[in-house]
Amino acid sequence: MADARAARNRYRLLISKVMDLHGSMMIVLLCIAGIGFAMLYSVSSGDFGKLAGRQMIVFAIGFTCMVTIALVHVRWWWKLSYAIYGVGLVMLMAVEIIGDIGGGAQRWLDLGFVRLQPSEIMKIGLVMALARYYHGLTLDEVKNLKTLIKPALLIGLPSVLVLRQPDLGTMLLIAAGGATLLFVAGVPRKVFLVGAVVGVLGAVAGFYQLHDYQRDRVFTFLDPDSDPLGTGYHIQQSKIALGSGGVSGKGFMQGTQSHLDFLPEKQTDFIFTALAEEFGFVGGVTLVTLYAVLIGYGFLIALSARNHFARLMAVGVTTTFFLYVFINIAMVMGLIPVVGVPLPLVSFGGSAMMTLLIGMGLLMNVYVHRNVVLSRQGTVPLGRQGTVL
Amino acid sequence: MRHITTIEFDGVGKRAVDNARGRVRVAMAVFALAFAAISLRLIDLGLLSGEATDKRVIAAALDVAPRADIVDRNGVLLATDLTAISVYAQIPRVLNAHDSALKLAGVLPGVSSEVLERKFASGSKFIWVKRKVTPAEYDAVNRLGLPGVGFQREVERVYPHGNLAAHMIGYTNVDGRGLAGVERFFDEQLRKEGPRGEPLHLALDVRVQHALRNEIASAVEEFTAIGGAGLVLDIHTGEIIAMVSLPDFNPNEPGTIANNPELINRMSHAVFEWGSTFKTFTMAMALDEGKAGFRDSFDATNPIRISRFTINDDHPKHRWLTVPEIFMYSSNIGTVKMALQVGTENQKAFLGKLGFFERPHVELKERGAPLVPAEWKEINTMTIAFGHGLSITGLQLAAGYAAVAGDGMLHPVTVLKKPVGYKPEGERIVSQETAYKIQGLLRLVVEKGTGRQADAPSYLVGGKTGTAEKAGGGGYRKKSLVSSFVSVFPVINPRYVTVVMIDEPHGTKKTYGFATAGWTAAPTTKRVIERIAPMLGVPPSDVPTHPVTHDMMQFIQPEVRS
Repeated sequence: MADARAARNRYRLLISKVMDLHGSMMIVLLCIAGIGFAMLYSVSSGDFGKLAGRQMIVFAIGFTCMVTIALVHVRWWWKLSYAIYGVGLVMLMAVEIIGDIGGGAQRWLDLGFVRLQPSEIMKIGLVMALARYYHGLTLDEVKNLKTLIKPALLIGLPSVLVLRQPDLGTMLLIAAGGATLLFVAGVPRKVFLVGAVVGVLGAVAGFYQLHDYQRDRVFTFLDPDSDPLGTGYHIQQSKIALGSGGVSGKGFMQGTQSHLDFLPEKQTDFIFTALAEEFGFVGGVTLVTLYAVLIGYGFLIALSARNHFARLMAVGVTTTFFLYVFINIAMVMGLIPVVGVPLPLVSFGGSAMMTLLIGMGLLMNVYVHRNVVLSRQGTVPLGRQGTVL
Repeated sequence: MRHITTIEFDGVGKRAVDNARGRVRVAMAVFALAFAAISLRLIDLGLLSGEATDKRVIAAALDVAPRADIVDRNGVLLATDLTAISVYAQIPRVLNAHDSALKLAGVLPGVSSEVLERKFASGSKFIWVKRKVTPAEYDAVNRLGLPGVGFQREVERVYPHGNLAAHMIGYTNVDGRGLAGVERFFDEQLRKEGPRGEPLHLALDVRVQHALRNEIASAVEEFTAIGGAGLVLDIHTGEIIAMVSLPDFNPNEPGTIANNPELINRMSHAVFEWGSTFKTFTMAMALDEGKAGFRDSFDATNPIRISRFTINDDHPKHRWLTVPEIFMYSSNIGTVKMALQVGTENQKAFLGKLGFFERPHVELKERGAPLVPAEWKEINTMTIAFGHGLSITGLQLAAGYAAVAGDGMLHPVTVLKKPVGYKPEGERIVSQETAYKIQGLLRLVVEKGTGRQADAPSYLVGGKTGTAEKAGGGGYRKKSLVSSFVSVFPVINPRYVTVVMIDEPHGTKKTYGFATAGWTAAPTTKRVIERIAPMLGVPPSDVPTHPVTHDMMQFIQPEVRS
């Protein structure tokens, strides 16, 4: 009798949690993914199965994962956070070792039944691990610089490993995401000031270590039109594509560049140019607005959370998502140099899609469990559990 | 669930939360600024300087002339400018020639490391490693990160339909100058408009073009011919809806095209003696001048001997033939006698009015000059009457048919799309009544005569066969034929003229060894019309025949079979 009631209560809780999922956020998410499907359909010249169909399947799987993750109680994620980070780190090292043995750059880990990209796990793992670490500290402890050693290692180890792959884009995502999380956690501002100065000096020093041609690329980025002989290819390319779209674009499936197979990476990192070519300024602004709304939701969720772990996790996930969007679009528009970062939920590719949807799952989890209070030890006080499954 | 006391939101914990909320807002502000930067850039590129940047960048990066698109009558893209990438090396900046050559050869198919290394050592400062690489190759070279190796963007002219309308569209050289077809004729205009300008709208319909090319290619293959050609002409507007010449070429590979005489445009550039298809004009002039009527008969009992020539019939009847019979049986003897009634001067004037003594007037540079006899004697009048001794292009033949079987007016032909309701200028060649009679005669050929295999049921086809022997080696070569069929459809209120020409066909078992037009070009025409009539919106007709054809049956003797 009591069992039956408990079961019924659990069922009611589940239903109430499902009802509490962030509906408008999901709609924005679906809109962005929908734009992605349409663009993939277009760049594959109307071959549905080639890109769009496959992308839809990955999205469906990822979306299911997202909802599942959102419904699991937040304290389980608190418990698992170090473990997920650990798995990610071990796999990154495994990739490094296998890569050394195999004698070439490697980013994948082939587990037989599935190919994993450990850096993707690490993007999530790092956010969770840092969130848990700072959840366990008082503000005074955070102000103590000694407590900065562990997070520095947490960020530094995967950054170095990813940079050695070499994958500058992912390294930037991991490092910048981690740094933002530290900032929100309350690490003193002077640390970031010193970090910025050291970073600039390091970049200048590194610049003089570069080959001539590498330096050329930097100069080219600074002034692409000065180099008609082509090293500014990507930048000029994007200008052409973005400019040729005009206000309302050439129309769906009418982009000559993307339709006729001459745009490099058109279905992955450079899909924004295809969008801008076919839907013009209006299309570009629509997508950027959708992203801004989604990121805005992320921050509102972070602000609404009543426990530190969840809030930091929300900030970390939102920051990672923002960095994806910003690095990709800024690169395509020639605001920053070319680094390989996909456009979230739009670019073709399963790994990034899964990572982002899992991240969105965590963000929604924070929203569903926004009223849960979590002690420093990760336990939930009676009466403060919010809706607990 | 365990019972544990917790730290509440007060004291230290409260401070942490407030601090964190403040910092989240700072992060939000930073991110908002970043989005603002993106949006401003988007406005900058998309709205303010979009097109200007576009053109400026293209102009700066390229010395190749950018061109406007070419599209068909329905807006289907036929030619467009695309950006291509070429890989070059600035040799003084190459650090390790051997290593660089090996790496480049490793990622660029068709590049040999030995050749490349020799080029590196050649002493020149700049070499092309490979022109027009694929995006994947570009990416691979980029990843090598070799010092001294760079990329140049180039504009490449791309023809998405490949061979389909190769002769009509033409192609460009690497500098982006039109070398053939409309690319050449409209070179200046296409370059002036530029890639963002108004596209060139051709009268061509790719669907019709595809059907025509497909059927002619099948016929060329079936009859192991050396080539073929086809045309679909709108009688009312003079628009060329489709034009095919085989063998053709892929305009995307201009290197394979130059100076190959096999690739001549057999419709507008090559001139042929068309044989019996020409008899329609003799018939038209005789009827129009009042030199013959359907009731009149001419003696076709015996061959005509003049000096060292003998003029024979292919299907001799050894009797007097009425005018419809002459046309139906394609009698050379009868046609010659009609031409003699018209007279040399009248014949010359008539053919001259049709424009058969000068190059066809069309917006192509590939226009062949007719071969006109230097001296026009009676013998010329006789041979030209049945299509020998005067060589013209297929385009002129079609325009001539559009005149004498249409409204009697010769209209200029054009490759450009004309607006709805366009009425071209024209010069009267024959009266409307004569044109009406010609329609009846053309229908007769398809119903009862040599063109029976062209009869596409319910589309009311009229037409005339022509099988000419090619001149060569001081005479005519019996085995080298030009088999053609010119059709007018529907034959009542005609809308389209088609030309199908098979160059040197060979008979097959199916045709009992015949390579004549009735067995080759006529059935091909039938298949073409069956495919294109629905595309062109020509409805099936429920009228069985042309009224004139019906009326002329009284002048035709029933065939006596022995």
